[in-house]
Amino acid sequence: MTGLRALRFAWLTIVRQPARSVLGILGVAAVGALLFDMLLLSRGLVLSFRTLLDAGGFDARVLATDMVPFSGPRLDHASTLAAAIRALPEVAAVQQVRTVRATAGDRSVASAMGVDDGEDDGEIEIVGTDIHVHPVWTIAEGRDVAEDPANGLVINRHLAETLGAKPGSKVTLRGRCGDEASMPPPVTFIVTGIATFPFDTPGDDTAGTSIASAARLCGERDADQADMLLVRSRDGVGADTAAAAIHARRPDLHIVTNAEIVDQFSRLQFSYFRQISSVLATVTLFFGFLLVAVLLTVSVNQHLGEIATLRAIGLTRARVVAGIFWESVVMVGTGGVLAVPIGFVVAAWLDRILRRLPGIPTGLHFFVFEPRALGLYVVLLSAAALAAAAYPMRIVAGLPIAGTLRQEVVS
Amino acid sequence: MFAASRPRAATWGLIAALLVSVPLVAAPAEAPGILISRQLAEARHLAVGDEVRLAAEPSGTASRQFRVVGIYEPTPDPLRFAQPPLDVRLHLPDLLALTGDPADAASQDAVTAINVALADPADADAFARDVAGRLPGVTARATSSPDARTNTFVVIERFHTAIAFVTVLGSAVFLLALMVMLVDERRSTVAILRLMGFTRRRILLQVCAEGALIALVGAAGGVLFAIAVQGLFNRFFQWRYDTALVFLRVTPAVVWRSLVIAVPLGIGASLAASWSLLRRTGAGLHR
Repeated sequence: MTGLRALRFAWLTIVRQPARSVLGILGVAAVGALLFDMLLLSRGLVLSFRTLLDAGGFDARVLATDMVPFSGPRLDHASTLAAAIRALPEVAAVQQVRTVRATAGDRSVASAMGVDDGEDDGEIEIVGTDIHVHPVWTIAEGRDVAEDPANGLVINRHLAETLGAKPGSKVTLRGRCGDEASMPPPVTFIVTGIATFPFDTPGDDTAGTSIASAARLCGERDADQADMLLVRSRDGVGADTAAAAIHARRPDLHIVTNAEIVDQFSRLQFSYFRQISSVLATVTLFFGFLLVAVLLTVSVNQHLGEIATLRAIGLTRARVVAGIFWESVVMVGTGGVLAVPIGFVVAAWLDRILRRLPGIPTGLHFFVFEPRALGLYVVLLSAAALAAAAYPMRIVAGLPIAGTLRQEVVS
Repeated sequence: MFAASRPRAATWGLIAALLVSVPLVAAPAEAPGILISRQLAEARHLAVGDEVRLAAEPSGTASRQFRVVGIYEPTPDPLRFAQPPLDVRLHLPDLLALTGDPADAASQDAVTAINVALADPADADAFARDVAGRLPGVTARATSSPDARTNTFVVIERFHTAIAFVTVLGSAVFLLALMVMLVDERRSTVAILRLMGFTRRRILLQVCAEGALIALVGAAGGVLFAIAVQGLFNRFFQWRYDTALVFLRVTPAVVWRSLVIAVPLGIGASLAASWSLLRRTGAGLHR
């Protein structure tokens, strides 16, 4: 009951000074939106990257060495190795992946003659996979490569627009493998479908085919090599256990789980955004605290006589102090609630800006919502509201009634 | 000033090519000399005079012996600041001998890029077209032309500008709220001044001057605070990423931009807050 009275007292104070209150709430909303965005940014890249990695349903990668995927040596006898790993009880599925760079028949000449603009070098990334296993791409239109194992090819939307190709079109590709001096013969494919690839950037030209066809682009008929194997652990087993089982069988290979990749990226590549978000979150939180503390303190100082009168006519010290506390809570609470939708709009705007960074996959986002961010936001704002109210509450608690009233009359 | 390159990538090629112009101290023994980055020296506990084996293959096959003749501080790369630069610099012939395929004579004479200094840098585009026409398969571009690196910083700058915009918006509201309260406090003073004969214009000018002064002092305080903390900020991130990069620099342009935003904002907030009082008559202002 006392709490409700104090809340009503706070509410009356707020509505009596509408301009100050509205501006205070708007200020908290602007600061709160920025704080909310920084919390979304602090783990956004990590969460988004994890989602991208997990999208294919594979939770571990097997590589020949610890070098960055596609830059190190390939795995030899890949199909035999994949079968051996697949036979492990901890493993549910294994996908072989080999990438090859190629140019479309008539684009290679144009590319060679042109001046490099640093953006589009006319290269197409061909992803070769085992067509009997779940593909690493998602079909958006047409059919998958498995429908035409010998010559089937799926291409992304950007490549389809560049080549003017659609399902059923023929595309001739020329592999760019190893030394430039040795040019393998061109290979003609039939486009079976349009697909999306998880790590494509907006300007990427990417195509998917069988691993044998990818090798054929490099003039290799009997090659049984893969850049890496994607492994899906059996339900309930977990990636770590599956990785340990593979390591026990083949200690010479490098096995890395999605969680380990995310952890590594989080510590290195993504750390700048995490730290800049920490710095900005701290600054905005301090700013929000300052805003509310100054508004409340100035307001209290302006109405010391009035507060002393209320005390003199019987309002208890606790009730007046609680009124100041609730005033802070209402101001920060209302501003904080308004800040969430504003924060989402600003986050979408900032995300659009950052996603223009070169090499950022289409599916990667910098600002990602998670309930944890909202929880942390509420905790931080509550702490700010409490801290902001502390000083004006202290002023009111220690207010000498008689002295203040006398001062008021004299002045 | 100019780079011509084949698409074939060999990461160390550029490093070795750069070394052509870097004088290396001759190694006393028969092992060729190499330079290693400070970060690599610290990570592998290497010192000048140590002998190391380098191989192009991760398996270590066909490795060759080298002697560390120097440790250098790598030029900070803003795009790779989060990764420790574990780099080695070799003479180009040593690198080609290490990475080339003995069975392929062409691989012993292949580089990733050739840097060309033009007599007149303004000819860069014409030179690029000339190279592309005469040497099909070779791409050439001016080193000053925009690429992914410049795009990255343009985007980062836009991001920081957007953050600054939101912050300024919050600050403007904060300032306006404060000014409303301060002006409200002076309701009686303004009323007395009006009754004494002060014109609205004069009081308005006074309010503008006060707002400008507060904004100027506030902006100056902010700039001084930024100058004071920039060292701390830079030292923290330089320590965190083990780099010599400068992350934050308060330049005259930044100071100027802050003042250009802050002062009009202060004056505007003062005017907006005072407007309701000045519209009233002197008697109407008295409570």
